[in-house]
Amino acid sequence: MTDDAGNLSIDFLAGFTIFMIALIYVATLIPGLFIGLQSRTIDYDAVAYRTGVILAEDPGMPENPAWETLTDDNKADVLRFGLAMSKDTPNILSPQKVDRFFCSTWTSDDYRSRVIFGDYPYTYNISLKVDGEPAIRSAGDVKPDGYGYIRRVVKVKGTSNATIDNEKVSKYNYISHDNVTNDVFSIHINCTELLHNETIKNPIYQINPLKDQIRINITDMEKRGNKTLNPVTELTDITIYRTKPILSNPFPPLVPIRTFDSPYVDSDSVPVSNLPVVVNNNITMIFPPGFFSDFADDTTHLYVFLNFTHMTPDFTQSTPEDLYLNNTWKEGNTWNVSKSFEYDYNPANVTQPELKDGVLEVAVW
Amino acid sequence: MVDDNGQLYTIEGVAAGMIMLMTAYLVLGATSVYTPGDTHISDMQLEQLGTDALRMMNTPVNGTTESTLQEIVENDDANAFNTQFLNFVNSKTGTERDNLHYNATITYYHSDVINNIHTTASLPLASNRNLTGGEHPVRVTEWVIADKQFPGSVNHPRAVLVEVLLWRD
Repeated sequence: MTDDAGNLSIDFLAGFTIFMIALIYVATLIPGLFIGLQSRTIDYDAVAYRTGVILAEDPGMPENPAWETLTDDNKADVLRFGLAMSKDTPNILSPQKVDRFFCSTWTSDDYRSRVIFGDYPYTYNISLKVDGEPAIRSAGDVKPDGYGYIRRVVKVKGTSNATIDNEKVSKYNYISHDNVTNDVFSIHINCTELLHNETIKNPIYQINPLKDQIRINITDMEKRGNKTLNPVTELTDITIYRTKPILSNPFPPLVPIRTFDSPYVDSDSVPVSNLPVVVNNNITMIFPPGFFSDFADDTTHLYVFLNFTHMTPDFTQSTPEDLYLNNTWKEGNTWNVSKSFEYDYNPANVTQPELKDGVLEVAVW
Repeated sequence: MVDDNGQLYTIEGVAAGMIMLMTAYLVLGATSVYTPGDTHISDMQLEQLGTDALRMMNTPVNGTTESTLQEIVENDDANAFNTQFLNFVNSKTGTERDNLHYNATITYYHSDVINNIHTTASLPLASNRNLTGGEHPVRVTEWVIADKQFPGSVNHPRAVLVEVLLWRD
């Protein structure tokens, strides 16, 4: 008689096999459920990488109007931060976007919801060092010992500026030989030429008066005038004139469109609050990014007019002065601006914008 | 009498076999998730850094000049490459610096019309340490348009590939 101890029925074996296969299948799914939590280092590195890509390669949302132009009152409209000049120029950062991004008015939640993303409330430190800038810009908390990390090599677009000194005044003969009580000096910003130049087509090298800061310095003014009557010269006003030449009307009249009331005068560290103001040696006009965009486009010609009035030393009446700064005069009812100083791509006139090296670090933990 | 057809003997052997199979399956399945991800992240950081550095070296500072990398290739200036590349890859926002090593070459298309041989050839560009075989370098590249004559062709300007092996100790 056969002993049946230690035997297994085929029914049990079939059932047990099906059970084991199902168990193995379910067990293999379990690591996938925890894939986001299996290693904190991997997860943090990935978040830092994603944040670095968004900052270095994306211009942000919305694009029009650009997110960096939105005020704190409208910051809810900012959907995503991004520092790149455009999608076509990765790693080339816009100085306006950088300034706005590192603005202290953003909260931790703003950064989390607009650049770091994710459901987990990550802590972060984002820092940018640009060659030639003394301070390192940063946002976020102090880094702990362990964190996810990415480093991006970038360039930041520089700003242009023009200095009209004694050399340029002599070179372009910006001296009036009329004995007059008012002198007018003008600077021509030709948006069409600047934005549609045949040589400088890449936006990262362009002077864009609609988006970039424009800085104009007028120096060596103590050398102007013959000072026979020892006059005091006041900068009466700074007015922006606009004109839009078209094919059928290449010389339309200039129209005053806006005033600018806050130049820096005589190397003062703060701008004046209103005009007129007495000028002895120098004037610096810093037009902030977007200043011209409200009333100009890529077909506009802009003229910045500086009006000077010469007064007697006791300010009681105006007095004529010869050999003062002047390149603009009236002919009938129209302004002759043919000798205006050109803010253009000539490096002899304007210091051209150059790209500055920088390094961007993102740490997430 | 009980028929023993359709019976399996030694239940302990079957159960142990099943448990071993299941354990091996779980272990293999689990490790295949962890290992590639971990390696990929550190490689990716170096690749990103090297790619960024070469791209920025190949971006002129203004609209009228050549890029630094273009000048380096045209003048075969190893010192300038060493200084600029290490400055880019080692810079951090804080005061401390990274310590990366690299080996850079230029690869170009070599066309020998007389012997009808058309192939690619490489020239060493610069390095700050030799590869010994124990390193785990990543490879990053950048195409450069260089106005320079390379062996095997009289045509220029031409595109050459700057290849950099980049590693950390």
